[in-house]
Amino acid sequence: MSQRSLKDRILDPGETALAWVLLTPAILFILVIVAYPVSRLVFNSFFDVRLALGVPVSFVGFDNYATALSDSMFWRAVKNTLIITFVTVPGALVAGLGLAMLANMPFRYRSPIRLALLLPWALPLAFVGLIFAWFFHSEYGIVNDIVRRLGGEPRIWFNSPALTMMAICIATIWKTSSFMALILLAGLQTIPSSLYEAAEVDGASKWTQFREITLPLLVPSMLVALIFRTLTAIQSFDIPFSMPGPGEETQTLAMYIQLNTVDYLDLGYGSALAVFMFMLSMATTFVYLRYVRGDKD
Amino acid sequence: MKLRSAATFLLFTCMVAHAALAQTASSPAPVNLKVYIGGQQRPDIMRGLFAQYMAANPGVKISVEVGGATSELNQKYLNMVLTARDATLDIFLIDIIRPAQFAAARWAEPLNDYYGKDAEAELSRYLPAYREANTVNGKMMALPALADSLFLYYRKDLLAKYGEQPPATWPELSRIARKIQQGENNPNLQGLSFQGKAVEGAVCTFLLPYWSLGGEIIRDGKTSFERGKAEAGLNMWRTMINDGVAKKNSAEVGTDDTRKEFQAGKVVFGVIWGYAWNHFQAGADTQVKGKVGVVKLPAMPGGKAVSCMGGWNWAVSAFSKNKPEAVSLIRWLSSPAVSKQLALKGSFHPVFAEVYRDPEVVAAVPWFADALPVVETARPRPVTPVYKAISDALRINTNTVMAGVKTPQQALDEIEQRVARALR
Repeated sequence: MSQRSLKDRILDPGETALAWVLLTPAILFILVIVAYPVSRLVFNSFFDVRLALGVPVSFVGFDNYATALSDSMFWRAVKNTLIITFVTVPGALVAGLGLAMLANMPFRYRSPIRLALLLPWALPLAFVGLIFAWFFHSEYGIVNDIVRRLGGEPRIWFNSPALTMMAICIATIWKTSSFMALILLAGLQTIPSSLYEAAEVDGASKWTQFREITLPLLVPSMLVALIFRTLTAIQSFDIPFSMPGPGEETQTLAMYIQLNTVDYLDLGYGSALAVFMFMLSMATTFVYLRYVRGDKD
Repeated sequence: MKLRSAATFLLFTCMVAHAALAQTASSPAPVNLKVYIGGQQRPDIMRGLFAQYMAANPGVKISVEVGGATSELNQKYLNMVLTARDATLDIFLIDIIRPAQFAAARWAEPLNDYYGKDAEAELSRYLPAYREANTVNGKMMALPALADSLFLYYRKDLLAKYGEQPPATWPELSRIARKIQQGENNPNLQGLSFQGKAVEGAVCTFLLPYWSLGGEIIRDGKTSFERGKAEAGLNMWRTMINDGVAKKNSAEVGTDDTRKEFQAGKVVFGVIWGYAWNHFQAGADTQVKGKVGVVKLPAMPGGKAVSCMGGWNWAVSAFSKNKPEAVSLIRWLSSPAVSKQLALKGSFHPVFAEVYRDPEVVAAVPWFADALPVVETARPRPVTPVYKAISDALRINTNTVMAGVKTPQQALDEIEQRVARALR
């Protein structure tokens, strides 16, 4: 290695140095917007930080975590979050796949359908929650109106945790299936039509074509869509928040975190809860990525 | 030529400088004050008051930010603005249950020092209960703006038709309501409307029968929860729903729902705050004008009649950059003259005893003459910096019992657990 002047080294850096220079903005960016908040969150979770009381901050070790594990409201929130995840993720996948297939069909009114697909996706989540809360209102809602016209007994949907969860899941699936459909539609369009033509020649039925060609080739798009959808389901806040059931019976983990941090200003406990949610999201992503890698081996 | 343009330039500069000086001397830059009020505290009337103040004080410009309709929504917003130590808001109208939290978090400016030697003379004019509710550790944290209590509104015409007097106990109310409901044979007529939704009003729903029986939540800084009395209270409301006196979806009824349904003529008895009167008498679509009576709330059998104290107060932000001007404004806003205007325009309860007896006020809101003893003896909700957590424990569980999701026993278990955790 020859000795080079500082000026030369700046003007003509080696490849490694150049790589570092070019990566620096991205690394700084990630440090500032990801690493700092996450480490601050973990840091706070070991302290008693209650702003409403104006008491001094004190170190409490794992106390906040221990409190969470023995807190029935925390477990109820976890249960509700998991129910929403396990119902709405597959629900949105199936509904989204149907919509994507419809939008991919070669017929005249395809573009209005594609446009309509975008509508739920473009609406703000809280909006969707409010709209569906009106649909299910016991006196003014359209759902009870239909029930009454069909001769049924109208129900007070939001008086029952189970019925409220059902309404929340319906609203969530309606809202999120269009996102699924958009990603799946992009996936569908990468499948060459020659494959279907060949299958046609070999006498394969439509169902066989769907099972043997469409589904396997759509798996990569589905995985991407599922990762995003699952993560947003774990973070469910807006829709359950704007469609409250009785008391806090349908509270999700994100809502419980918000209650403790924003309403009670108990940042220590709220941070510990948020760390639990973070671990849940990480675990989910890990499982999906594992599956993607396993597929390639 | 060059000389001339230079001279012109000099002259021009002098003129501008002179004009600018004259400008600053005659009127200093106006002080901008931003006031935050909730949507239910009649922003229309408040704007009128600010216009009066600006006309009398040309150096002050007031802008208004209107927040959510409920006390909880207002507090959610203020929590965020004030934990960020944001200086945008100078003044906010806060619920009577908040001063303790605002003092503990150091969000509100203590006001005593601004009065100088007049402090005692001026502050002692307020109704004592309201002065106390705004005093934390000897410091006045906010100035009373609107007093309030829960009252029993009833349909004078219907009670007269069935030869009944306003009830003194809840079971008596139930009997009268059912008699009228059966007599009118109208399935849409509710005997009683009260707040079962998980709003702040549901805290009072829980406390009214509990207090009536002598129960307390906090006694000398410690929890003193009496399960038997709490259970009797929750059962009393549940019975109203089960008997059809109150409607089945009472768990969906918020504060303003009671007001709207009573106003539409669908309710015999309504438990609601003072602001409703003005809507019933002067609301555009009111069906009950001239048919409404107001009395104090009924008691539990064997208990005493109590009401829940309400009201709103003007506080100055500890982060405001214009504190002296802001304090001057709120001193005017909580003066007897403004209190009288608020009574006349919005049927808001005055915070001064003498305004209740003012002939103009009595002419506009006749029942205010009898309201003073109720307002003076209404009980404050638990005073604590962690009020929000206590409030949630009570209203959430009251709501689940009204919805029939939890038994009173289960609800009381959760209340005990949550109150203990909040006061740890």
